[in-house]
Amino acid sequence: MSEPTAAPDTTASAAPAARTGPGRLLIAVYALFALSATARAGVQIATKFSHAPVAYLLSAFAAVVYILATVTLANGSRTARRIAVLSCSVEFVGVVAIGTWSVLDPATFPDATVWSGYGSGYGFVPLVLPIFGLLWLRRLHRRESTRDAPDGELPTVRGAMSADGRHR
Amino acid sequence: MSSVNGALPTTIIVAGLALAGCALLMTALNRRMGGGLLAALGVLEILLLVLVGMIVAKLADGGRPASLPTLIGYLIAIPLVPLIAGLWGAMERSRWGPAVIAVAGLVAAVLMVRLHEIWPVIHV
Repeated sequence: MSEPTAAPDTTASAAPAARTGPGRLLIAVYALFALSATARAGVQIATKFSHAPVAYLLSAFAAVVYILATVTLANGSRTARRIAVLSCSVEFVGVVAIGTWSVLDPATFPDATVWSGYGSGYGFVPLVLPIFGLLWLRRLHRRESTRDAPDGELPTVRGAMSADGRHR
Repeated sequence: MSSVNGALPTTIIVAGLALAGCALLMTALNRRMGGGLLAALGVLEILLLVLVGMIVAKLADGGRPASLPTLIGYLIAIPLVPLIAGLWGAMERSRWGPAVIAVAGLVAAVLMVRLHEIWPVIHV
């Protein structure tokens, strides 16, 4: 298969561009978390669900979010990136909310989830990963806005800002 | 064999961290993937396969960890880490290829610590 270079002025479609450069690293890390969260939740629910049902269901929810983010980041189409923005946002809210909950009410989390303690069991990667995901998605969006500008010229600063504003 | 020799997991931790350091340096210096990095990844793969073999032998001897499904999951996943990272990273023609290899090195080191937690007879 032919991959375009990571140069920002590539003329290839947006989908492969989402899989190159920093996107390649992001997808690798997301795939890692999708796999580990899914495996962990699967084993927990299958073998000792009654031990900590809330924690294990949240593990499963986190796993679904990671799978969704991995697939949509790797797909890279316009629709997929919109879903990726949503899943990265849910992920960030999830890490902060579950992290706070697990600190305030440790009894509900006798066993760790990916997101308890703000992802401390995973080197706080779960906390920073959605931030980098959203930054990367914003950069892809801006790059595409630049390329789709009329007459192939760079949009004015005002144009770029309004394009971004519509997206948010 | 009463326990898995601590030398191998420790070697894997050192090798994984060294690989991650080299790969991150390449990313910082804006270097692309090269044969040297893939060769180092191959060495890591061999070390991990030997470790998996030793753990399987330990299971065959009748030893059991607290959670057998978890250990089996690890035994399946461990050899896949350098393999998938190598394929995924080699497809990249920018500095971000070595960054993917760095993740594999870090993951290999972390997995050794996790293995010890799953089954303490696997010494680090």
